[in-house]
Amino acid sequence: MLSRRQLLAASPTTLPLILALSACKGPAVLSGPPPVSSQTQTLLHAVTAELNLIWIYSKTMAEYSGLGPTLAPLLAEHEAHLARLRARVIEPPGKKTPDTATARPAIGRTEQAALAQVKNAEQAAVAAQLGRLAGASPSLAQLYASIATSEATHVTVLASRIGQGQAAGS
Amino acid sequence: MTSANAAGIAALQAALAAEHAAVYGYGVVGAMTTGASETLARADWLAHQEARDNLEQMLLKLGATPVAASPAYQLPFTVTGQAAAIRLAAVLEDGVTQAYLGLVAVAEQTLRSFGAQAMQAPANRAVAWRGTTLAFPGMPTT
Repeated sequence: MLSRRQLLAASPTTLPLILALSACKGPAVLSGPPPVSSQTQTLLHAVTAELNLIWIYSKTMAEYSGLGPTLAPLLAEHEAHLARLRARVIEPPGKKTPDTATARPAIGRTEQAALAQVKNAEQAAVAAQLGRLAGASPSLAQLYASIATSEATHVTVLASRIGQGQAAGS
Repeated sequence: MTSANAAGIAALQAALAAEHAAVYGYGVVGAMTTGASETLARADWLAHQEARDNLEQMLLKLGATPVAASPAYQLPFTVTGQAAAIRLAAVLEDGVTQAYLGLVAVAEQTLRSFGAQAMQAPANRAVAWRGTTLAFPGMPTT
């Protein structure tokens, strides 16, 4: 056992040697990183879900430029959601925060079909956010609920735009 | 929903107080609007009465005495015409959305879920009045 005086006297270069020779235990370098908590796992899924929504919006706007005025403000809100979710991530060892979309579906063949696809994606996102509430800390649950609410308003905006398109086409 | 603790009841009471304020405020909105806006104000006024009654029932079932409406409320700004009335309607809806978000912070899962779902109607009504969506409905603006 090393005395406090011996430890304090040791230089930075000799200290590891002294510790190795003593009975002290260092970190177990061969053991894997600690498991990711379910709350962090859920947060990382939420980040991926936002990336997927952003991808659908960007792709739809690229294919149908006429939808830009409707979709651009909603896309900006998704980017704000993503930033806020990312800010909550404390990156676990050995696990990177997702930065690319994992779902890249083909975009609808007409403007109306593409809008319906975006609306359905938003609807699914609302349900997924609400499913994340259980087990979340109070502040994270509020963030999920607020994002779900924002997405629910997007559904309404998109449904209204789809209705206008149908009325114009009939 | 018998497991709601004091925090849950307090959050329900806050939501009820926000609904009381909205019912009062929509009286002003309805009086200062005409045409389609007046029709919308009437529908929203009724929706808030229904939500208020629902919250009162929830509180009574939990053995709590529902908070009563105030005889009058201080409006956030003077409402002298239709434009200000429309702005007031959006502010009222934002307040109710924020109150329901308070329920999401409680530990009891049923209340948390109820609060999250109850946010959607006022947030959508706010969009109808304001004409634009928000990235974080119910959250304090930073």
